[in-house]
Amino acid sequence: MDPRWCSQFLPQNRECTDPRIERKVDRTPTPAGDGRGNSTSTMIIRNTGVRHGRRALAAPVVRTLLRPISMLPKSALTSATTATATADDVNTKDAELRDALSAAMSYKRKREEADQLKAELAKIPQNFNQFVHIQKHTKGLGSTVKSRYEAGVHLRDPPADATLEMLLAAQAHMGANTSLWNPANARYIYGVRDGIHIISLESTAAHLRRAARVVEEVAYGGGLVLFVGTREGQKQAVVKAAQLAEGCHLFQRWVPGTITNRDMILRAQSLRVVDMLDRDVEGADELLGELRPVKPDLVVCMNPMENYVLLDECGQASVPTIGVVDTDADPTWVTYQIPANDDSLRTTELIAAVLGRAGERGQKRRRADASQGICTWEESDGVRHYRIKKLDEQRKAMEEKMAREDGEVKEEVIHPGDLREQLGRQAIGEAAY
Amino acid sequence: MVRKLRAARVIQATTELLVSRDHVKGRPPPGIPAWYQAVRTIPPAEVLTRPYPAQHRPLNPHQKKPRNLYRPTELVYPEDELRQDFYRDHPWELARPMMVLELDGEDARHRDWSRGLEQPGMRLSGESVVQRQLWLMENAEMSKEGAYDQARKEFYLLRQREEIEQRIAVEEARIVGAYFGKSLLRVGMELEDKAYEKWKAWAAAEIQKAKVAAAQSELAANTLPDASGEADGEAAP
Repeated sequence: MDPRWCSQFLPQNRECTDPRIERKVDRTPTPAGDGRGNSTSTMIIRNTGVRHGRRALAAPVVRTLLRPISMLPKSALTSATTATATADDVNTKDAELRDALSAAMSYKRKREEADQLKAELAKIPQNFNQFVHIQKHTKGLGSTVKSRYEAGVHLRDPPADATLEMLLAAQAHMGANTSLWNPANARYIYGVRDGIHIISLESTAAHLRRAARVVEEVAYGGGLVLFVGTREGQKQAVVKAAQLAEGCHLFQRWVPGTITNRDMILRAQSLRVVDMLDRDVEGADELLGELRPVKPDLVVCMNPMENYVLLDECGQASVPTIGVVDTDADPTWVTYQIPANDDSLRTTELIAAVLGRAGERGQKRRRADASQGICTWEESDGVRHYRIKKLDEQRKAMEEKMAREDGEVKEEVIHPGDLREQLGRQAIGEAAY
Repeated sequence: MVRKLRAARVIQATTELLVSRDHVKGRPPPGIPAWYQAVRTIPPAEVLTRPYPAQHRPLNPHQKKPRNLYRPTELVYPEDELRQDFYRDHPWELARPMMVLELDGEDARHRDWSRGLEQPGMRLSGESVVQRQLWLMENAEMSKEGAYDQARKEFYLLRQREEIEQRIAVEEARIVGAYFGKSLLRVGMELEDKAYEKWKAWAAAEIQKAKVAAAQSELAANTLPDASGEADGEAAP
């Protein structure tokens, strides 16, 4: 190993502790002698100029040398001034002159620095163009490293379908410990490995696709889908799915009674009345005041084990539910089961993504049909009730008016209200009436 | 335990409600909900039944009374035995860290064990040896032991190469000024030193205690009781 390498590359202020490297740079002061005990006093150098600085014994400054002095760095100047104070043949006049000069030169220096900065700023466009040129020519060099997975990829770009490989990578097959299983879930289990049940990914994929079709059809039929994920870390997945399906989300605690006692709990929430092209209906203020808070038409729950109350309310209110059922969960709590790992956030994100995309497809189809004049849904109970009530009132008012004005002649006049009522009856069906 | 099947019977309950003529007085009967058509055309999947599970081990034909027929069976693979053998012989290979994060689940498509132990996107480990051994057993018609020996030797060569590369890299780094933390041996030595110092302090305290006890017993043995007899607290009769 060449010691010259060491002294060349090691920073001077760092001590090299590696004993293998020999440092030839010796910092100890040389003794006054030839090292053999012979004093060589005549060889002692007492020249302060050598030990303290180059300019200690420099010649006094002459006015004609003003310009060269201005080029000196500040450190040299100050060392020169301090050195002159200690030297014997110092010229005090020169010292004063130098002090005055340094004050004047500081302004000049600042101006020069400002000019320098300006010049640097002016170079920016040229530098940038050069940078762009280099980037363009070096872009294709080197290898392209393709990333096969990035965290949160399902949130940024939700996939429309989940393959078996994707489900495996998302750890959807990992069920709970075998001792904690619910035997009702035996049909979804592929086998036992490492003390846990392994969920059959084929059943997961099949059930997930079925659930996706349900979400799509409910969205197509103008239904409101509620995505629920109350565990820590499920917020983003659930919100994203709700955004895609134009539904609602819940990532905090479900307030008991939000469906069965919605007249109380949701009374402060605002409502909208829209037509088939999703435009707000005008003149519906009275109606909005009378409408009950809305029930979801479908509830998708990512952690049914922690949301028993929600699912029970849905059962009471006849709201269909979709739930991610792990091997320790109860499959009868939900209408549509998706057997998968509920502990993995990656699985949650994947499932929410697929269901969100399905909702998005349904909404798109609904709007496409609406633009063609096909309304895929029927008016809700509250709106229908209000409409019938108004028609009844209208008809009664008409009859009273008729009775007052012309009580004898009773013609079979078909009033517009009656006609609309008849049409309404036909639309819904006699059975419902 | 009575199972609650309300969730599964949502469509039936709603149909009954729609068809029946009983409804809240003063209100028209309820209309068809937005989800009705969807759930009617896409019925929920079968639930609560327990089909015969997939058998991952060949059944024992001699067993006359098989037990737990409907219990899921243990998943076994031929690699399990090979892994057990390998890690029993090379326990320190378990100390090497392993990444358990799955990428896209398509790892198997990038593997070709005919080419050797080094596979793209996979770190050299005991798993490489096991897979290579299995490939040799199945495709090169080698015995388990023969395949193990060959795979093992390929593995040793690659590990040796890795070690040499690491050693040279450390030297090169030191030349240009890098410095490293304590080596494992250094850490071990320091722990031993600490334990030794602790013991030394304890031993010194024990010696001191023993000395004091010895001095006391010596004093008790060599000093006579007082002539008056009051030194040891006994009252003179």
